[in-house]
Amino acid sequence: MATRAFPAARPHQGTELGAFLRHVDYLLLAAVGGVIAYGLWVLGAITRHDVPGDSTYYIFRQEIYVAVGVVALAAVTAINPDVYRRHARLLYALAVVLLLIVFPLGERVRGSQRWIEFGSFRFQPSELGKVLLVLFLAGFVADRAKRVGEWRVVWSVVGLAAVPIVFVFKEPDFGSALVYGSAAAAVLFFAGAPWKHLAVLLAATVLATASLLWFLPSAGVEVLQPYQVDRLTGFLHPDVDPSGSTYNVNESITAVGSGGYDGRGVAGATQTNLDFLPEHNTDFVFSSLAEQRGFVGAAILLLLYALIAWRGIKVIAVAPSVFTAAVAGAVVFAFLVQIFINVGMTIGIAPVTGIPLPFVSYGGSSMITTLVMIGLLEAIHVRGRLEGRK
Amino acid sequence: MEEPYRVTPQLALRIGILGIFAVTIFCVLFFRLWALQVISGDKYLEEARNNQIRTFRAPAQRGSILDRNGKVLVSNVPGTAVQLWPAALDDVSAERRDLTLRRVARLLGIRYRTIVRELDERKNDPLTPITVKTQVPAATVDFLLEHQADFPGVQIAQISLRHYGQGALAPQILGYVGEISKEQLAAKEKEGYAPGDRIGQAGVEGAYDPYLRGLPGIGRVYVDALGRVKSAREFEQLPEAGDNVRLTIDADLQRTAQDALAYGIRIAHEDGKWAADGGALVAMDPNTGEILALASNPTFDPSVYVGRVKQRDLNRLKDPSANHPTLDRAVAGVYPAGSTWKPVTALAALEAGLLAPDEIIQCTGKEVVDGQTFTNWDPYANEPMTLRTALAASCDTFFYQVGLRFYERPDSPLQKWARSMGFGRPTGLDIGPEETGLVPTPAWRRRYFKSEIDKIWTSGDSVQLAIGQGDLLVTPLQMTRFYAMLANGGKLVEPHVVKSVEEPGNEGQPPVVLRPYAPKPAKDVGLNPTALHVVQEGLYAATHESYGTSSGIFGAFPVPVAGKTGTAEKFVRMPGYQGLQDQAWWCGYGPYANPKLVVCALIENGGHGGVAAAPAALQVFQKFFKVDPNSYSSAVKNSD
Repeated sequence: MATRAFPAARPHQGTELGAFLRHVDYLLLAAVGGVIAYGLWVLGAITRHDVPGDSTYYIFRQEIYVAVGVVALAAVTAINPDVYRRHARLLYALAVVLLLIVFPLGERVRGSQRWIEFGSFRFQPSELGKVLLVLFLAGFVADRAKRVGEWRVVWSVVGLAAVPIVFVFKEPDFGSALVYGSAAAAVLFFAGAPWKHLAVLLAATVLATASLLWFLPSAGVEVLQPYQVDRLTGFLHPDVDPSGSTYNVNESITAVGSGGYDGRGVAGATQTNLDFLPEHNTDFVFSSLAEQRGFVGAAILLLLYALIAWRGIKVIAVAPSVFTAAVAGAVVFAFLVQIFINVGMTIGIAPVTGIPLPFVSYGGSSMITTLVMIGLLEAIHVRGRLEGRK
Repeated sequence: MEEPYRVTPQLALRIGILGIFAVTIFCVLFFRLWALQVISGDKYLEEARNNQIRTFRAPAQRGSILDRNGKVLVSNVPGTAVQLWPAALDDVSAERRDLTLRRVARLLGIRYRTIVRELDERKNDPLTPITVKTQVPAATVDFLLEHQADFPGVQIAQISLRHYGQGALAPQILGYVGEISKEQLAAKEKEGYAPGDRIGQAGVEGAYDPYLRGLPGIGRVYVDALGRVKSAREFEQLPEAGDNVRLTIDADLQRTAQDALAYGIRIAHEDGKWAADGGALVAMDPNTGEILALASNPTFDPSVYVGRVKQRDLNRLKDPSANHPTLDRAVAGVYPAGSTWKPVTALAALEAGLLAPDEIIQCTGKEVVDGQTFTNWDPYANEPMTLRTALAASCDTFFYQVGLRFYERPDSPLQKWARSMGFGRPTGLDIGPEETGLVPTPAWRRRYFKSEIDKIWTSGDSVQLAIGQGDLLVTPLQMTRFYAMLANGGKLVEPHVVKSVEEPGNEGQPPVVLRPYAPKPAKDVGLNPTALHVVQEGLYAATHESYGTSSGIFGAFPVPVAGKTGTAEKFVRMPGYQGLQDQAWWCGYGPYANPKLVVCALIENGGHGGVAAAPAALQVFQKFFKVDPNSYSSAVKNSD
């Protein structure tokens, strides 16, 4: 449907809606729909015994989140992304405020303050903040598109991104901080920042990480608690303390490995059913999936993700502006990073950081935010196609 | 508005890089998943299965220990134990584990540190539960059961505990049951022992553990991540109860022997021997070697070893002021033999041709040998004596001269005969540990001592040895065996405390003997019957002639008993005292013509053998031959 000719005359309303609908990337939507359906099926089996007497407790709520998320996706698709660019500062302020209020109001769960309680719904600002930050940074850079080669712009972006990153880092939520950082870098990358600047940024990041985890502690300055360092570096040496910091990872690897080629089935997945796997409906959902459905089941999910990524990358190419290209690039990159960290953590090749698996982990904030991100991709896709048609 | 936007070559390149990045991470994830799930899947499947299975061992009901008449000495009673599963504790977080252990410690009144130490010791064996407390009150058990979720890795087990129905009867023979030690495990792992097993630690429990313990059951149970049991216990092998062990010990005679020792110590105290504080008494069948009673004083209540042993109780037993109650003095205590040794000297001299049966030697008040004066216990003695009389009156100077004759002989015939009559080597008792004692020889002196002067075997050494003094050390059991040899006509029996291994008969049927104890046949020492007879007569005279050293005790006893007193000087160390103390001995047998019982009694630091030891031995004879002590009159006469 690439370059079909349309009348140059201003089309009336009905035709405009038709054109709009024709330019939606249905393959992307189908891939997302597939992942969600697959995720619901998997999650339903995993959480069947988690709430005694209510086998659909989690899956029922997850379905509601999907419904809300789909509405949000449609709305975001309809809204012209330029709206966000015009109100970028407002979005940034909103993100900062949301991330700040978890400290006085937030619910502390397992040592981490990430959630705000709204009745029975627990809202995680860092999920929404991810989208807001991307939109703001993309807008900020797009406004200075001609000066993107200057150091000032790059450092401004780093400084502006650092504020919310530090906030989520203090919750503490390393996973989200990592995703934020990746998204910010992706904004610069796709807005056209020079290679030299990007290389310096990469070097600085590596240095900062290393000092946080190794250099500062060995010099006696402990920004992180030692157990946090252990969690982050534990995957590098899983056998040092099998019952301690790497217990989760070892049980997770056992779960994944025991799934074998075609899985142990729902009833036979003892790692999940007997609670050897911690957080098996959220952070470690992939382990349960791999245990129950095996390599085949895990591969299906990864292929669906790959399909989404491919469609996302195509969206960057059709993006009608620097702003939208940067947004699309950041969304796709953040999505990939999140998948890699989450899945990698469950199979021992990435640090244990609590971030959800997109579309599969139980949780409303993540589900809705991810669908909003898909909505952004669709909005950009539609506009790009419409622009290209002009 | 900005100028129309186009995909620049730079952006196209960067999109391409993102594409490569995406392909890379998916490849990495795929390969890793393939490696985990398809290549190593079986290994992890095994791991996941083991994760939820706990192998458990169910100890078998331990066999009972009976006396020779079937009276139950040791049996079992059910008890409750609180156990920890180390594996389940490993599965919870460090904080939770710590909290659980602290709560368990508080609830059961044990030290937290003790629990942690025991868990550490068993770090390599997470699948065997650790018993932290036995005999737990019902209320505590109920509390633990109701709050199981708060106590991950804690379980209540029904166990069986040793029960000593006869109280403090023969604890040194019975031994006790305790958790297998690291060293024992290393030595016995091949015999099917496993960590956490309870195993017989001493005495009969230790030596006959393979029969008593039975076969433990082995089974599997499914648990969740908190160690909560999720399935019924499945046995792969059902436990098989252990066999009973029947002893040669007669519980009644044993009690009499223990009381007799206490009595002997009491009369020693009354005689002014303040240091008398222990003793041993052995009663044995002289023909078979069956031990009927084997007492050691001080004694203790074996129930301190039941279940989880309290350190406080152990410390009390080990305290020097307790005078080593767990030591079986009859078997593992060594003493100079004193005059009870004289029959050994006599037999050896007769056999070696150094003395004729009716040879007369002057018994004097003292004897000077190479400038050194050796005194007789009776300094006023001065009369000619034959061997019989010298044995009966226990004349030391008579034996000094015999000792000198041995000194003239280069081949140490006394020591050789002593050895062949069972001294200086283990008796072969079926329960241990046993001391061998010491028969000093010139060769031993050369080996043992450092200085040139001490290395020389002098005439004094021979003189001392002739009356059972000097460096000689014997155990009461060795003496008993020797007197049994005198009684049975010159044969060395193999002493033993176990009669048979048996299983209880069904429904009132008599028990089935599975394995009778088969002692080695009594070994003839090769003594000249005449020589033996002379010594026997001497011992009979000792208990019946007016000049006999224990005729005051045994002279009027209706069953003819022959026996010898002994008063042996020993250098002793006690809390707050060290010096020479007389060890009171009496050894003998009866009836004289057809011996059924041999008894050896020793009272540590008890003074004269005729005062403290002989009356103790008499009580055992009275009990054995069912003689009422009031039915005959005995005039007490003290002498050595």
